[in-house]
Amino acid sequence: MILVIAEQRGGKLNRATWETVAAAQQAGSPITIVVPGSGVDAVATEIAAAEAAEVIIVDSPALAEYTADGYVTALAAVIGEVTPDLVFLPHTYQTRDFAPALAARIGRALITDVTAIKKDGNSIAFVRPVFQGKLNADVQPAGPAPHLVTCQIGAFRADSAKTGSSAAQTRKSSVSVDASAIRQKPEAPFKETKQAVDLSQAERIVSVGRGIKGQEHLKIAQDLAAALGAEIAASRPICDAGWLPMDRQIGSSGQTVAPKLYVALGISGAIQHLVGMKGSKTIVAVNKDPEAPIFEIADYGIAGDLFEVVPALIAELNK
Amino acid sequence: MLMDRETLEVDVLIVGGGPAGMSAALKLSQLQKERGGAPLAIAVLEKAREAGAHMLSGAVLDPSTLRQLVPDFKEKGAPLAAEVRDDRVFFLTRTSKLKFPITPPPLQNHGNYIISLNRFVKWLAGLVEAEGIDIFTGFPASEVLYEGDAVAGVRTGDRGIDKHGDRKPTFEPGVDIRAKVTIFADGVRGNMTKALVRRLALDAGRSPQLYAIGIKELWELPKDRLPPGTVIHTMGYPLRMEEFGGAFIYAMPDGLASVGFVAGLDYRDPMFDPHLTFQHFKQHPFTASILQGAQLVRYGAKALPEGGWHTIPRVYADGALIAGDAGGFLNSIRLKGIHLAMRTGMLAAESAFDAVRAGDASAARLKGYADAIDRSDVRRELYPVRNVHQSFSYGLLAGVAYSGLSLVTGGWWYRDPMPAHAGYERVAKIDEYYQDGKPDPDIPARPAKIDRQLTFDKLTNVHYSATRHTEDQPSHLIVHDTEICRTRCRTEYGNPCTRFCPAQVYEMVDAGDGTKKLQINASNCVHCKTCDIMDPYQVIDWVPPEGEGGPQYEGM
Repeated sequence: MILVIAEQRGGKLNRATWETVAAAQQAGSPITIVVPGSGVDAVATEIAAAEAAEVIIVDSPALAEYTADGYVTALAAVIGEVTPDLVFLPHTYQTRDFAPALAARIGRALITDVTAIKKDGNSIAFVRPVFQGKLNADVQPAGPAPHLVTCQIGAFRADSAKTGSSAAQTRKSSVSVDASAIRQKPEAPFKETKQAVDLSQAERIVSVGRGIKGQEHLKIAQDLAAALGAEIAASRPICDAGWLPMDRQIGSSGQTVAPKLYVALGISGAIQHLVGMKGSKTIVAVNKDPEAPIFEIADYGIAGDLFEVVPALIAELNK
Repeated sequence: MLMDRETLEVDVLIVGGGPAGMSAALKLSQLQKERGGAPLAIAVLEKAREAGAHMLSGAVLDPSTLRQLVPDFKEKGAPLAAEVRDDRVFFLTRTSKLKFPITPPPLQNHGNYIISLNRFVKWLAGLVEAEGIDIFTGFPASEVLYEGDAVAGVRTGDRGIDKHGDRKPTFEPGVDIRAKVTIFADGVRGNMTKALVRRLALDAGRSPQLYAIGIKELWELPKDRLPPGTVIHTMGYPLRMEEFGGAFIYAMPDGLASVGFVAGLDYRDPMFDPHLTFQHFKQHPFTASILQGAQLVRYGAKALPEGGWHTIPRVYADGALIAGDAGGFLNSIRLKGIHLAMRTGMLAAESAFDAVRAGDASAARLKGYADAIDRSDVRRELYPVRNVHQSFSYGLLAGVAYSGLSLVTGGWWYRDPMPAHAGYERVAKIDEYYQDGKPDPDIPARPAKIDRQLTFDKLTNVHYSATRHTEDQPSHLIVHDTEICRTRCRTEYGNPCTRFCPAQVYEMVDAGDGTKKLQINASNCVHCKTCDIMDPYQVIDWVPPEGEGGPQYEGM
């Protein structure tokens, strides 16, 4: 049995959990999903749509706010109780904070940032990047089960997660967490910049590049984003010029995203930008220059003037 | 700003972890063993994240110095990629090539080795560390420390300053490293040596230093395309008769080949673009056929000191010595500097060791270093070719003729030193050079088709240099007057920085009011120093960015 640790914050399920479910389902079956937190029934209901044997809620006031100690205690107990063969987690910042301690607590192997799973009969290997992505390594866990695996964000497709014919059985775990044993005292979460946005959570992104020509023209990109229900993002020159804040930048010196839809307007496709978005499921590019490198990775490309194409797209979407 | 800085005291501080610095460190440990006595405290400062990361060169190594420094270099696994087997020189025209019937003696490489300088320096670093000497990687030197006019050491750069100059939570002040003797081996146009020379007028009475830019790519060729040990040099196309430089192709095992281009940083045409010129070289049928079906692996660029003997400054001062490319110890006719960097590093080590033991690091005592250089193979090699690069400022034919002559006459010229101007002074104004029809400064004068298989744009190339810098830090390219860029420079020279920088650090972007302004993409910088050298108004100062930042020249 494969145990998936769901991630939620403030009662909102992190989309990466679905990717982790997809990965676990690839590795084998059945899967069981654990939802740690406090007052997370709604999250459990949401994730119970997955094709899973059951969903276990670990509900404790001590887990209302994330702490490494709280999560390690709770999850170590659940793992002890259900004795899975593998434990899958999404490779988020939160997971990175507690997963090593969890692995140390139960004395089991931890393989991180996995991008693919290779199965060969009864043996399984996990593929992960090494040396800053220059090579991939196939890693086989050694030692007794369970083995812990964290999945790189965007490496597994959330929409390839299989849903069940009916909602998975849900139960509350009897595991309790002693709040007084938690050493961390979380303070109020804060964001450094006023409008820090996590583009990696967006399902659709409309991104603008130099082809937009002026800050005053950003509006048509924003209109397209609104029509698509997408977030707005940009390549480096736009953020350097201050037309959009730095947290909207996508690329090697900005964020890496892999949304379902990425629309690149007036972006030439320099490598530095491509590395930040090439994992996107569907890429649509609009650029005046038919030789622009972006067309090499775009699924749909329109070699044309974005000031003509985008209004036409908006009109079609609004029909 | 008053703050508590840590102080570290050493006997000998070596600034720069290249071949000169590493050789100095290794030699010091050898002297220690030979002569005994109280162990010396030695430290090497290197701005890169790891030894060798910022090392780039062709390169064909003359192993004579290596044999003396590490006689058992073969047993110790020196990474000499291939022994030179075949030496060819070609003169290229736009469509064809002429092979030189005899390889000119200075370019004969029998007995030499093709190496990757990055791997070679990593190997030297291993030997240095095995001797227990600390190599502090990720530590750039930002300031020379003085006691009066005597050099007392250096201060390392602060870390954790944001782009507005304010301290971030990760702020760490730089450390003051005080040393009895500081060996400055910070490379071509090293910022510490530049400041030292200026402050102590070490270049008084010397000829101005001359430079070239070397742009290099590492390629993986199809199997058996070029036998390992093949050395090819070219002259002529795509350079014109008034321009100095040429290209090189060095074949190593496993299909790896170094392909590069050197252009003198004393060209007259303000629209000259060394990177584009390199693309033209690759498009020549000769090169294109060699690179057919090959894969680009890495890219990088670095300046070279070409001026020769008369441009070398005084290399000693109270508490200081200068070694390697920082001093300009490069043989421009043989295209070799690594063995000279190693030799001067070794000689500096001897002087430093002697000074520390004698308790006297005064200029009078350290002058022994300069005297040793005068008596050594360094002078024997560099003196006869002292005017070679200068002769090329009179044109390709003059340069070749003088160089040929110098092999026989030992470099004689009726005016010695042969007069020459610093490269940035030789660039002509647009109006002078382009008499009929002023070119658009934002459009290449001689464009090349970029296909991203054989030829690349600068931004794609920068990606292959693996250069990384913390984004939130002040720009390390200090342009003292950006108004000049949008006004005088734009009309007089057409903003040549946007062309001579091989990493697209400088761009003229719309200022929003119909004019252009300078945008500095500091994080693209590959630390080649060309901008510091070539800016016509000399208003650009290259200083080291926050430690660890820069290229990752694996295999270069």
